[in-house]
Amino acid sequence: MVHISDGILAPWLLGSGWVITVAILAYALSKMKIDDVPKLSVITAAVFVASLIHIQFGPTSVHFILNGFAGVMLGVLAYPCIFIALTMQFFLFQHGGLTTIGINTVNIGVPALVSYLIFRTGTGLSIRTKVGNTKHRMVLFGAIGGGLAVMLSLAFVAVELITTGEQFLETAVLVVGTHIPIIAVEAIFTGVIVGFFATVAPDLIHKR
Amino acid sequence: MKAIRNLSVFALVLILCMTLVCLPASAHRVVVVGQVHEMQVMAYYGGGAPMVDANVEIYAIKNGQEELYLTGKTDAEGLFYFEPKIGVSEYRAVVEATGHKGEEFVNLTAGAGVAGAEQEGTGLPLMQLFAGFGYLLGIAGIAMLLKARKMEK
Repeated sequence: MVHISDGILAPWLLGSGWVITVAILAYALSKMKIDDVPKLSVITAAVFVASLIHIQFGPTSVHFILNGFAGVMLGVLAYPCIFIALTMQFFLFQHGGLTTIGINTVNIGVPALVSYLIFRTGTGLSIRTKVGNTKHRMVLFGAIGGGLAVMLSLAFVAVELITTGEQFLETAVLVVGTHIPIIAVEAIFTGVIVGFFATVAPDLIHKR
Repeated sequence: MKAIRNLSVFALVLILCMTLVCLPASAHRVVVVGQVHEMQVMAYYGGGAPMVDANVEIYAIKNGQEELYLTGKTDAEGLFYFEPKIGVSEYRAVVEATGHKGEEFVNLTAGAGVAGAEQEGTGLPLMQLFAGFGYLLGIAGIAMLLKARKMEK
């Protein structure tokens, strides 16, 4: 659902998608250090494969996106991760389209960055809450980030589809409705993985 | 009188002969027209799930010119049926549902693209998967090389 195909959106939308994508890519890659590359590759492999895991739900089939997970794990580097994953998904699985890689990266990558911000702000909070220790907070905000990123992506797609004449509310309800299991599963998945890394290898989680 | 009778007998015989000769071959030219009554369009996502309630546009292609022929929606199994136009054997079917779009050229004289549909398996594309991992390794290698070169400077 989040991979928009060729020939649906207007050229100005595709163009602005590419402009935003190139700008964020340039920024993210300038921030990249050599130590980040292996982790970036592994997460990219996960995001690349995730779209093959389908869940049949109601009338549509939905697949994993894992953009929130990428955001939490990689920070700003989630953007190049998603760009590479989407490019490979197009060339190897014919998911989405060639001209839409720019806008699709915006749709999936920007929510990943948002989920990273939420995660970073959430785990950095020094307020004493019931979820006191850092690991619990990481699990909680990882889960929030994982679920929210998918929802945001769907909202982006629904907004863009208005320009093609689809009814926003109808599309948004349909798209979000069919993705409820994905949102739930990705939230749980991200929370659990972040909890696991917080215990086993805290360095792997992006903190900056 | 006799001449007239002879003539009429002759005419009768002639008519009889003609009828006998002509009987096996009918006077009408037989034209057999084979018509395909219904075409089926099947739309599914990679992985094999049908595209339900998707918008379908059928374009008829005649002499290289395309014109919108029919529009409709797929059913619960991702199927859409339409009656072909007489004299048009090439069609382009475009199926679209919430941002997903696919198209297929259908040629009645060339086996209706079934071969293509069968080739696209519904299982995991293992080859592409491994190819993807290979590309990733390559990209990672190049990225590390470039970064390492920058560090050396």
